[in-house]
Amino acid sequence: MNKRSSPHRETTGKRASFDALFRRCAQGMDRLVLWLLLGAVCLFVLLPILCIFLRSFQSEDGVFAAYQAVWKQYRDNLWNSVFVGVLTALLCTLFSVAAALFLATRKGWGKLLCLAILLITMVSPPFVSSLAYIQLYGRRGWITYRLLGLSWDPYNCWGVIWMQSISFVPLNALFLNGMLEKLDSGSIQAARDLGARPAAILRDVVLPLLRPGILVALLLSFVRSLADFGTPVIIGGRFSTIASEIYLQLVGYSNLEKAAAMNLFLLLPSIAAFFLYRALMRQADRLSQASRSRQERLQLSLLRCGPAGVLAVVISLLFFLMMLLQYGCIFLSGFLKQSRRGAVFTTQYLEQLLKYDASTLVRSVIYALIVSLAGTLFAMLFSYYMERRQVLGRHFFDGLVTLPYMIPGTCFGIGYILAFNHPPLKLTGTAVIVLANMLFKQLPTTTKICSAALAQVPADQERAVRDLGGGQGAVLRDVIFPGLRPAFLSCFVYNFSSSMTTAGAILFLINPGKKLAVFQLFDAVYVGEYALASLIATMIIVLVLVVEGAVYWLTNRRLYRTA
Amino acid sequence: MYLTLSQLCKRFGEKEVVKDLSLFLEQGQLLCILGSSGCGKTTTLNMIGGFLTPDQGQIMLDGQDITHTPPEQRPVTTVFQSYGLFPHMTVLQNVVYGLKFRACSKREARQKGLHYLELVGLSGYADARIYEISGGQQQRVALARALIVEPKLCLLDEPFSNLDAALRVKMREELKKLQQELGMTMVFVTHDQEEALILADKIAILDQGRLVQYGAPLEIYRHPAEPFLTAFLGLEDLVWAQDGTLLKVIKRNAV
Repeated sequence: MNKRSSPHRETTGKRASFDALFRRCAQGMDRLVLWLLLGAVCLFVLLPILCIFLRSFQSEDGVFAAYQAVWKQYRDNLWNSVFVGVLTALLCTLFSVAAALFLATRKGWGKLLCLAILLITMVSPPFVSSLAYIQLYGRRGWITYRLLGLSWDPYNCWGVIWMQSISFVPLNALFLNGMLEKLDSGSIQAARDLGARPAAILRDVVLPLLRPGILVALLLSFVRSLADFGTPVIIGGRFSTIASEIYLQLVGYSNLEKAAAMNLFLLLPSIAAFFLYRALMRQADRLSQASRSRQERLQLSLLRCGPAGVLAVVISLLFFLMMLLQYGCIFLSGFLKQSRRGAVFTTQYLEQLLKYDASTLVRSVIYALIVSLAGTLFAMLFSYYMERRQVLGRHFFDGLVTLPYMIPGTCFGIGYILAFNHPPLKLTGTAVIVLANMLFKQLPTTTKICSAALAQVPADQERAVRDLGGGQGAVLRDVIFPGLRPAFLSCFVYNFSSSMTTAGAILFLINPGKKLAVFQLFDAVYVGEYALASLIATMIIVLVLVVEGAVYWLTNRRLYRTA
Repeated sequence: MYLTLSQLCKRFGEKEVVKDLSLFLEQGQLLCILGSSGCGKTTTLNMIGGFLTPDQGQIMLDGQDITHTPPEQRPVTTVFQSYGLFPHMTVLQNVVYGLKFRACSKREARQKGLHYLELVGLSGYADARIYEISGGQQQRVALARALIVEPKLCLLDEPFSNLDAALRVKMREELKKLQQELGMTMVFVTHDQEEALILADKIAILDQGRLVQYGAPLEIYRHPAEPFLTAFLGLEDLVWAQDGTLLKVIKRNAV
């Protein structure tokens, strides 16, 4: 770059050469950031997954020995997994569709209450449903034993299916509700205009438009059910699935080859489901994009939609009632003690928790904050490079980064052990491996949020900056980050709740001396200290809500000030 | 010559979007690139602006080869079709944005910004937000933002396409006046024949990436180079103002 090519004539030669140097540095930084991002994705996503594949073939008795052994020994578990997965997917999707329809057609306080319940479930740790199940319907359950006087054994595969279905509903319901809100009110009005009754509108317009979303819900529930080890371990009794068996193999026998091979039985269907999922999501996006209108309530009265509509209302009411019971039970049982006179209020468990285990809660919050901030920044930069810059191998990296979304958490975690337990990359036992695992497990969702927000930023704004003399740094500062501001909150909230409640992925990575609150909860449930477990669950929920509320307040205050 | 495009070629995959395009322009003149959609006019503009690199050919501006200069270092600015205004900044912040990258103090920038807002008839709107002002006003902000950095060349990509018919005529007149006052060299892309005939000092008509005719508006009107042009222009008569400038174009009814 010489003086003559400088855009302004009046600048002196000194300034021009300084400018050139500055530009060179900025370009270097830009490259460096890009390489760091791509390098991190390769290291923390590609490498662990490759390691699992390779390790599972490295048995002493031949390449497929581990597979043959697993197939022979755990065929029943495999069938159990598939059986539970299919039934859970069906049941859960039925509940989800009903709840989403109910939510989308409601307004006012009823809707707010339902949304609040869903919100709480979204920030709940994973074992809450099982914990509530045992306390409500267990051998000494509040409802089955104390209320109805029944004595029955709740530890079986139906309990697992029921609990999984219930606990996967909120995510699906919110997703489907989002689709319903984006539905073109024009096509519903057109159908009504042409003489369609509510039942026909539901059948001919609403459900067909929702179809890709319903399929996604089926798929996601199936994959999540396959990967869920907590529910079968806690309430499966003698019934065990492949995921719970992996947990036992690793915790009980530390058999890595076997665990890796068993994991592949989870990994393969998950990856297949992933590609299906991508195709379906594209279809869903097309359907909702074709009809971009303002978000409004679905103009449809479910109760006038015939049997299907009534069924949807009944199912949703049942679901929300169960959720109320579940959280009521959790919130109460941390503060109640059974005595001869019945249940009495006590702070005994709270004192116990704060005295012995406060450090665990603090550590959880610190980890979650680090992951949220680093993860959100990573997602913003990554989506910028993927969406806006012609990076070589864009599609490859884009696909790679979404992979952890579909891989069962335990599987991803074992990949990390295999990849990082020997020099030069010995990270096992450190906090870094836990943080990296959380960050990259959550990255698919946060990059998707950021990409969607970036799509709303016109390319002309970016061109205008460069046109007026700003480099890539100025583009990031003045267009990309301001454009991503709404995404920041969503990413942060998602990252924080996931980090506070994730279990499967970091189960085997955590240093036993440095536990997180979720594992304390799991241990408490496992050994039967239900009151303590309820209290930990409550604390996690409260902490997440408080921190996220504070962040919401902070970012919104900033918005008001600048607006 | 002030601006020279010589033998520019650009292809996207198999499709040749701009074929062997050569054009030139004197300083202080306004060139209209006219053509129907898909003729390669926006591609040409993007190559001049630096957002696309030509596969072949050269772009010279004021004696410098700018073919491979990145946009931020080109003395060229653009008024984008959708304006590309920054929604999180005020009108004045938008206008003075480009001065950030030039040696210019905050106070100077503010003064200059207010001056340019006055030039485009927006004095009093300095602290308004972008979404609070109308489409025509946004258009003026975009124009002021592009002109304030005193570029050697200003590009306009169908800048009036988002405005209604009456406003378009008004903005057209204002643009012409401003261009003459500042002596700014401009390249203007449009598919509107009337706009081109009234605004331009020179018109270049593109069809399927090829230059069909290049000349002054009246030359083109009187001597269309190809039968295709007669149909494309579809002109019946011209109406002149008293000072000798073109006022209105009457089109043939048959479309």
